[in-house]
This record gives sequence, structure tokens and C-alpha cells, in this order.
Amino acid sequence: MKALERHREFSRIWASAPGFKGLFSTVNHTDLGRMFLVTAFFFFIVGGILAMLIRAQLATPHSAFAEPDLYNQIFTMHGTIMMFLFAIPTFEGLAVYLLPKLLGTRDLAFPRLTAYGYWCYVFGGGMLLFSMLFGIAPDSGWFMYPPLTGAISSPGINTDFWLIGITFVEISAIAAAVEITVSILKFRAPGMSLARMPIFAWYALVTALMILTGFPPLILGSILLEVERAFGLPFFQAEFGGDSLLWQHLFWLFGHPEVYIIFLPAAGVISTVLPVMCRTTLLGYGWIVAAAVALAFLSFGLWVHHMFTTGIPHMGLAFFSAASTLVAVPTGVQIFAWIGTMWKGRPDLRLPMLHILGFFVTFVIGGLTGVMVAVVPFDWQAHDTAFVTAHLHYVLFGGFVFPILAGLYYWLPHFTGRQRFFYLGEAAFALIFTGFHVTFLAMHWVGLLGQRRRISTYMPEDGWTTINLISSIGGFILAIGIAMVLIEVILHMLTSRRSPRNPWSAGTLEWAMIIPPAPYNFASLPHVTSREPFTDDPELAVRLASGEGYLGRPNDLRETLTVEITSGKPDYHVIYPTNTHLPIIMAAVTGTFFLSLLLKAYWCIPIAVIGVAALAWRWVWVLGRKQDLPVQDIGHGIELPNASTVEHSPGWWGSLFLLVANATFFGSLLFGFAFLWTVAPGWPPPAWFDASAVELALGTTGAMVGAAAIRRARRANALRQPPLAWLGLCFAGTLTVAIAAAAITLRVPAPVEHAYAATLLVLGSYALFHASLGMLMVAFLVSRTALGFTSAARKTEFPVVQLWIDYLGVIAILVFLVVHLTGWLS
Amino acid sequence: MTDILRIVIAPLVWLAAFTTVYALHGLVCGHAIGGMPFGTISVPRLLLVSAYALAICAQIILLISLYARRFATQSEFVRFVSRATGWTALVATVWTLLPTVTMSHCL
Repeated sequence: MKALERHREFSRIWASAPGFKGLFSTVNHTDLGRMFLVTAFFFFIVGGILAMLIRAQLATPHSAFAEPDLYNQIFTMHGTIMMFLFAIPTFEGLAVYLLPKLLGTRDLAFPRLTAYGYWCYVFGGGMLLFSMLFGIAPDSGWFMYPPLTGAISSPGINTDFWLIGITFVEISAIAAAVEITVSILKFRAPGMSLARMPIFAWYALVTALMILTGFPPLILGSILLEVERAFGLPFFQAEFGGDSLLWQHLFWLFGHPEVYIIFLPAAGVISTVLPVMCRTTLLGYGWIVAAAVALAFLSFGLWVHHMFTTGIPHMGLAFFSAASTLVAVPTGVQIFAWIGTMWKGRPDLRLPMLHILGFFVTFVIGGLTGVMVAVVPFDWQAHDTAFVTAHLHYVLFGGFVFPILAGLYYWLPHFTGRQRFFYLGEAAFALIFTGFHVTFLAMHWVGLLGQRRRISTYMPEDGWTTINLISSIGGFILAIGIAMVLIEVILHMLTSRRSPRNPWSAGTLEWAMIIPPAPYNFASLPHVTSREPFTDDPELAVRLASGEGYLGRPNDLRETLTVEITSGKPDYHVIYPTNTHLPIIMAAVTGTFFLSLLLKAYWCIPIAVIGVAALAWRWVWVLGRKQDLPVQDIGHGIELPNASTVEHSPGWWGSLFLLVANATFFGSLLFGFAFLWTVAPGWPPPAWFDASAVELALGTTGAMVGAAAIRRARRANALRQPPLAWLGLCFAGTLTVAIAAAAITLRVPAPVEHAYAATLLVLGSYALFHASLGMLMVAFLVSRTALGFTSAARKTEFPVVQLWIDYLGVIAILVFLVVHLTGWLS
Repeated sequence: MTDILRIVIAPLVWLAAFTTVYALHGLVCGHAIGGMPFGTISVPRLLLVSAYALAICAQIILLISLYARRFATQSEFVRFVSRATGWTALVATVWTLLPTVTMSHCL
């Protein structure tokens, strides 16, 4: 088969539906990556316009530009949009678009999940935009501290938009994190061992794992605060055994790692683009990987440094002050590795490199002011002043926007297949760099002079007028620079001439394909022997297009293969689902659930939940087959089993990492319970839970029976014996857990009267939800088995269900112990 | 997956130790645990310093394991990165929990 014929065949198999309608059914990572990026940049522009409104307001004293109420909405939405609707989705979009290409494969692990995540992001972001357009946007600052955000202080719907909208958007982040983690670990080109992975993939892996463990505390906090607002359960009300500091802990358990979740992908861009701009290879690859891992972990030990002024004892402050200073070390390792890379190579001052230099200057200043605020006495002085706002902008703009602009210009030929023609970018860079530093250096200064953050106006005699005016002028210069970037990109997409295939002479695999990329990426998959395979073999692109790699024969299926995690040896063969509207429908129904909560249309919630469950059932059902698939010939004399016949299928890996996020959520809930019990005023509660040995025994026995029965069912299936009886027993065990959990929710003392009872209600509901989920999964497996979708060979669904039943067993036993033992101990 | 665990195990143990010591500190102060049964060493100090020492011991054992042939990985790259993260975790444990020795505990 000739290369062109192969291209046409693969394009027919992998293409999205034509035209505008194709956007709604596409599951292709290239399309979805572009959609993510375009949407994220749209939100960046919206957030930027809000920033200009802030600077217009603060340019002069006694400003009447915006009323305080409106101003509160403006700065809250600016922070919210930039953090949740621009920065994280930009990472998701870049990773979704680039990773399969960098890793030498055809798509991500779960293409429909990518699409579902995208639509959740669009609908959740849309909710927040809607609130802004109608003047009911969140107005309590992007970190939403109670009691300001409680029902008494903020009775309107504004705060609900934030809590519900952001939780909805976070589904997208969790979906993307699961997707990225499994894709990097399993979906790589043969031969690509951990040591040969592109550096961006390492950064994306670390970031995705951080999202899985960093976002659940915020999701929990948002749920608790919304439940408090909607139903009066007093988790954050001191007079009823709650504590507003619990929110700060949960928020910053997310919020500080969030800074590194934003920085690390940008560092991945720097580590990818910088060596190409310097015409060399990255110095200290292993050190950089170790530094990224260390940074990720250390970032989880810093959250209290946002709470230095809350009255925490000195020793507690010192723990977090020490950790905050230590985090500068792995960051420094990366900075020195990049400087070493520039020293080793011959830097070429092309546009991406200018933005990288902008990053260096800005981010290092932000890092140094970060060390300043890590020192407790200084932080007490600077806390809640414009100095801190300036510091975070140096870190986030320096550590994210400059690298992303470098990446934008670097990969623009890849996105569009065109090369730059208008050269507005250099002038834009000068304006952005100058404008940024004028704005935020001035903001440091005015912060040190005492200007508090988030104030809507100030007096002329405060002495801040000139500095604020300079800062505002800088802000508008910055905005003009960003507008010029936008204009250049639009002109580039519309009119530029075609780009050669590898315009930067890069060595990574994303350039070993036609640009803009075909929907299948590679006509055949490469065998990787180094970190820069395209440098080693400049003819690689042609050889892959000629079908010389793996899976080079089109056969009407969307196929790829997985590898063993460490060695990169081929592991098993995967067949992807094709284009479908299921993700957008699922996201819409999920959105109905959140909208019902927002509008307090509680009658609609069960309908939405049943709808999501039915669609999830359909989601998995369509992947089944009634025949065993033989081993697949992938070329070069290698045969692989199909994913449906292995123990650890992509679904198992996806479940594993989703459960990591889930376990973090559960751990945060237990932490919250322990925190309230230990620290909150207003304890002991007026009434304790009436513990029951019978319920405790029933629940724990049910959990253990369920876990044992699913193992026996799996074994029976492997031995070609009917597993239905064991599955029935597993269902009964899970049902018992559900009954015991339901009993907790029905018997807790009045949950609106004290945080103790409210927390027990949440713990019981958590166990009940997972027991219901377990029953649904077992019922699914029973249906599959009864209708012939499983066999001794097609066994892969058993381990997946087992994983969930095991998780249910662990959390259920812990919940029963916590609830009943606290009742007895009282 | 074992190799990924090898890379993250030492920082993970640091995170667990850091959180545990912070939680212990919260318990000690929240429940006003006191007493001086060991001369000049109070119960809270003894608990916190013991936890600190245990955390350091755990990190040293982990680091030795990462160098031991018995637990060695085939991948030279993983060996290097896991040892680097092991050293980082040891330094992090010594540095971030040092206040258990040097600071007043509930002021």
C-alpha cells in the first residue's frame, strides 16, 4: 500500500464527522485539544478584560467606575476565571493535543472521557459566564472564605454559582488527570521506556497526579459549603461546632499545590522548547525529573503558609515556613538546569526564546518574593496587601503565561500547518514584558506602603495615587501586547504560507508527522530508541508514513497498543470507540444535576442521577463483544493480546487512578471530622450517635462478603464455571452495606444542630453512594455475563468491578468504625 | 508500576510523616496534653521529638533500601531518580520537622 493510500484509509477511519456538527461528536484528541485551547484562551481574554476593569477602577482615588458590589464580582471572577477556566484547561488542552504525538501513539487512553471533560468544562464555565452577564456572579474573592460566603453573609445565589460551577468544572480536571496519567504510563510507542519519555510527558504525569490528589479537598469543601448554604448543616459555623478555618485548610490543601499544578506544565514547555531554541539537548534530564517529583510532594506541605495570620501556634507556623523555604530548592535545580542548557548550546533569539527569557526574569523575581512571604514575620506584615497580589502574579504570569506564549509560538506551525509571516509577536513581547513589570513592580511597592488587596477605592491622602496610576498604565500596555498576540494568531491562521514539516529542527516525535496533523497522528507507530528519535533518524517521518512501524495496516478499526510501564515493551492491543454524541449528552445531563442544585429544583436531581447512571451503563456497554478476539499481529513479528483479555485493561488503570482521587476525597473528609473534633469550639455536641453493634457487624460483614464474593466470581469465570451465583452474593453483600449506611443517615442526631451530626450524615451518605455504585456495577456484570459478553478469555471487566468493590469495602468499614466507635466513646 | 512507586515512595513517606506530626501537634495543643514526667522534657515535646526521630529513621531505612541490591531496579534511570527523591525526602524530613526540637509547641 502506498503512503498516500494509507493516509486516505487511516483518515477515513479516524476522522471526526465533517463540518460544524462534527465538533459535538468528535472524540479525537487533536480536535479536542484545539477546542480546549481555544476555549481556554477565550476565557483568558474575558479574565484579562476583567483585569483591565480592576485597573481602571484603581487608577485614581475615589473612583466611581464600578460600585463596590460590582467591583467585588469583577475581582472574584478575574481570579476564578484565570485559575479555573484558563490555567488548568490550558494545561489540559496542551496535554490532550500534544501527548499522543509526543509519545508516538494515536490517541489518549479514553477518547470519550476527553470529550466528556471538555463539555463539562464548557457547560460549567458557561454557568459562571452567565452569572456574570446577569450581575449575579460570585463576589467573595476567588478563595471564598466563610463566614463571608455563608448563607447569612451572602444570601444570594452568587456564591452558589461559584461552588456548583467550579465543582462541575473540576470534573473536567479530574477526567483529564485520569486520562493523562493512564495515557503516559501505558499508551506510548514501543521502546519508549521511562528513561526515554519526552520531558513534557514527565511534567504532565506529575501534574496529573497532583490534580488527582490536590483537587478533591476543594471538591469536598465546595460540597460541604454548598450543603451548609442549602440545608443548614453547620460545617463552618463556630456556634454549632463547625469552624470556618476548616474551609481554609481544605481550600489551601488544594490551593497551594494548584500553583505548582499551573507551573509544572509550563516548566515542561520550557524544558521542551529551550533545548531546541539553544540547538542542544536538555541538561540534567534525570535531575529535572527528580526535581519535578520533589516539587510536587513538597507543594503539599505548604498549605498553611496561606494561614500564617490565623493564630496557629508557633511550631505549626515553623513547619510550614520551613517547607516553604525548602520548595525553592527543587525549583532552583530546574532553573540551573535550564541555565546550563543555554550555556551548553547556542541560544537563538527567536520569538519562543524571548518569552522564555521573559519567564526567567519574571519567575525568579516571583520566587524570591515567595521566599520573603514564607518568612512568618514578613508575612504578618504583607498579608492581604497588594504585595501578595503582585507576588502571585509574578509567579503565575511569569511561571505560566510567558512559557505558554513560548509554547504557543513554538507549536503554532504544528496547530495550523503554517509559518509565521506578520512578525507582530516581537513587538507584542516587548509590550507584554514591559507592561507586566510596570504593573506589578508598582503593585509590590504600593503593597509595602499598606494598600490592602481587593479594596475598591482609596483616599488621595493614602499616598498611593501615582503608583496606582503607573500600575494601571502598565496594565493597559500589557493588554495591548496580549491583543497583538491574538491579532497575529488570527492573521496567521487565515493567511500565512505553509510551514515545512519540522520548522525548528526539533527531535521529538510530534514533528515526525504531516502538519497540521492527520487525525490518526502516525500511519504506523515508531519504535523508540532515544529521547529524540527524530534527530537520530531524520527519515523517520517518511518511514512511518510508509507503514514501516507497528500497526501500519488499516483495517477499519481505530487501533493502538500499550506498553509495559518501565521498559516500554509492547503489552496489549487496544481498539478505540468511534465518534459519538454520548460525551456531550452525558455532560449535559451532569450539568442538569448541578443546575438543579443551583436552582434548588430538587425534584429534578433524582432524574438527573438516573440519567447519568443510564448513560454510564450505555458508555461501557457499547464496548463489549460476544466473541473472543484472537491475538493481534502488530507487525515486525509481534503478536499482542487484546485489551479485553488482560487483567489490567485501560479501564482498570483508569479506575485505579480515579480511586486515588476518591481516596483523597475520603481522607479529606476524615481529616475534616478530626479537625472539627479537635480544634473547633462548641464541642461536645448536644447529642451523640446511638451506636449499634448489630449495624456495625452487619455493615462490616456485608463489605467483607462482597469483596470475597467478587473474587470467587472472578475465579469461577477464569475456570469456565458460571459466576452468577457469586455475583449474586456480591450484590447481596453490597446491598447489606447500603442498608447499614442508610441506617446511619437515618439515625444521626439532628444534623442542622451540630457539625458532629452533619459530618456523620456526610460519612454515611458517602458510604451509601459507593454501595449504590457497587450494586450498579455488579448488576452490570451480571447482565454482561448473562448475555454472553464475558468469557474465560474476555475477563477484563471482573478486575475492574473488583477494584471498586474492594474500595467500597475499605471505606465502608472505616465509616462504620468511625461512626459507631465515636458513638460508644462518647 | 513498581518503578513509579520506587520514585515516589520516599517523598510520600515524608508527606505522611509531615502530616502526622502536624496532626499530633494539633492534638497535643487542642486537648491541652501536658505534664513533665521526664525531668525537663514535657510529654508533648517527647511525643513530637519521638515522631520526628521515627520519621528520620524511616527515611534512612528507605534510602538504604533504595541503594540495596535486593530491591534494585533494572532501570538505571529509575535508580538515579528514586535515590535523588530519597535524599530529598530525608533532607525534607530533617528540615521541615526540625521545629519539634527548636520551637515552643503551643504558644
